Amino acid sequence: MSAAWQFYFATLIVYLGVDILAVWGLNVQFGIAGIGNFAFIVFQATGAYTMAVLTLGPPPVGSFQQYIGGASLPFPLALLAAGLVAGLLSVVIGLIGLRRVRADYQAMVFLVVSLIATSVVNNLTGLVNGPAGLSLIPKPFAGLGFGLVSYDWFYAGMTMGVCAIAYLFVRRLTRSPLGRAMRAARDNEHAAAAVGKNILGLRMTAFVFGGVLAGISGALLVAFIGAWAPGSWLYPETFVFFTAIVVGGAGNDLGVATGALLVPIVFLETTRYLPNFAAPGVVDALQWVMVGLLSLAFLWFRPRGLIPERRQRFKPDPATQRRPAPVLASGPAAGEKVGLDD
Amino acid sequence: MTDLLSATDVHRSFGGVAAVDGVSLAVEQGSLTGLIGPNGAGKTTMLGLIAGALKPSAGSVVFDGHDVTGAGPTRIARRGLIRTFQLSGEFARLTVLENLIVAAPSQNGESIFKALALGGHSWRTQERELVRSARELLDRFEMRPKEDEYAGNLSGGQKRLIEIMRALMAKPRMLLLDEPMAGVNPTLTRKIETHLTQLRDDGLTMLMIEHELGVVERLCDRVIVMALGKVISEGTMAELRGDREVIDAYLVG
Repeated sequence: MSAAWQFYFATLIVYLGVDILAVWGLNVQFGIAGIGNFAFIVFQATGAYTMAVLTLGPPPVGSFQQYIGGASLPFPLALLAAGLVAGLLSVVIGLIGLRRVRADYQAMVFLVVSLIATSVVNNLTGLVNGPAGLSLIPKPFAGLGFGLVSYDWFYAGMTMGVCAIAYLFVRRLTRSPLGRAMRAARDNEHAAAAVGKNILGLRMTAFVFGGVLAGISGALLVAFIGAWAPGSWLYPETFVFFTAIVVGGAGNDLGVATGALLVPIVFLETTRYLPNFAAPGVVDALQWVMVGLLSLAFLWFRPRGLIPERRQRFKPDPATQRRPAPVLASGPAAGEKVGLDD
Repeated sequence: MTDLLSATDVHRSFGGVAAVDGVSLAVEQGSLTGLIGPNGAGKTTMLGLIAGALKPSAGSVVFDGHDVTGAGPTRIARRGLIRTFQLSGEFARLTVLENLIVAAPSQNGESIFKALALGGHSWRTQERELVRSARELLDRFEMRPKEDEYAGNLSGGQKRLIEIMRALMAKPRMLLLDEPMAGVNPTLTRKIETHLTQLRDDGLTMLMIEHELGVVERLCDRVIVMALGKVISEGTMAELRGDREVIDAYLVG
């Protein structure tokens, strides 16, 4: 494979990993907890800006880019900070959007939050350099002596590693009693409250968890591409993630990851190479149209997606287990499934 | 006998309509009390006011010695006052068994830290217990064969059963039942009656809205009659049959 192709595929893998992290975050919010977070991209952007500001160092006097803060943290710390800041913003936005508002109106509130965020960042130029955005964001681990192509493969591998770690937590959440309570609140919030579930608490937990993942995904993306501006996170980007979830199967971790492969990667990449016709930019514009239509088509014909939410089955009867129940002190052995049936 | 639940002079209006207009009622510990009245009498609104789904504009609600006036549904449910819904309130995309298990109070695995903790799942032991007690309930209500079915796919009558079983999983001290037999065929109605009688004999306190007076007569110790947002009468069904006002409310109201 030529260097150009290798570069292309490594880049696609990084994008795939970033998109998978993002759809897992949005899936916990939307697929599991039923929150239509149409401001999702804002939390990814927050993570990206945090990574940029925390690795760019203090802005030099008279520099072409102005931003607040500015530090030279090592990459892993900046990555965690990006998750933290996006999580904190989720607390604030969640408390505004998730209280006292019905689900359909929540979606409107979040869409408006997305528009406000773009407007604020564009106009408050001292914050993160306004519409011009930030660039020259340093590449992490660049000093390790990688070649140009091997660095991209390294970064692709690291992104997948972060995905693997994230999956451990995502899977735990979706299969835990907490995830079950979130799904109950999604299906019928009044009934869930009537059996003592704290609806706001469950939604806030899902919202912040998703926000942290969004922040980490944005941080990984920006450290790879080296630049970030308001044009990278306009509100329609959120719809690509929603489409990925609807296509892949809302509520299913592996389903939405498949959706992340099929929609932002396979679908948007293959249509990029269609020959342009009519006016310049027609194909680009049609991509957005097609993403919307894809979403609609699935909602009509296959609303549960390609890999639907798992049906949780429980072992026929705990009393008939082959082995005696594990002693608590030692804990269940690795890989042992107690009670839940995969 | 003491009153487990008492409401005093509760008011609630929607716009200009006084849906509940100064209702006082009490439910004795261990009793199955009926709440009847024509459509629009304010029965369901009253139930919502007791359960915290709606806030009263005036009056007070005391449950088990605690003033719960204006408390939210979550807090009231955690005190052990559990309601069921007139229209099916099942969790449609959860299985029947999950619908029951999710209702159990104080689950370890609902804490984000326990849910995400690496290593063994600290909530598995409790989960196994919950599965066991949920299955006992399913056996008792003859719904065990449906345990893996999505609740949304059940018939109307089966959804009513889910509603009752789920309320029982929540470890209630008292149930508020909103027409538990609405839209259920006669055979299942008899079954639900038997279950409710059994629960009453086990000592569970219940307040039940019901339109079928025959059912009310068979099940309820005491009956409260509402019309136009007020309590117009109360007593045993036999006493009420001779009450002119009650008959008028049903025939005219």
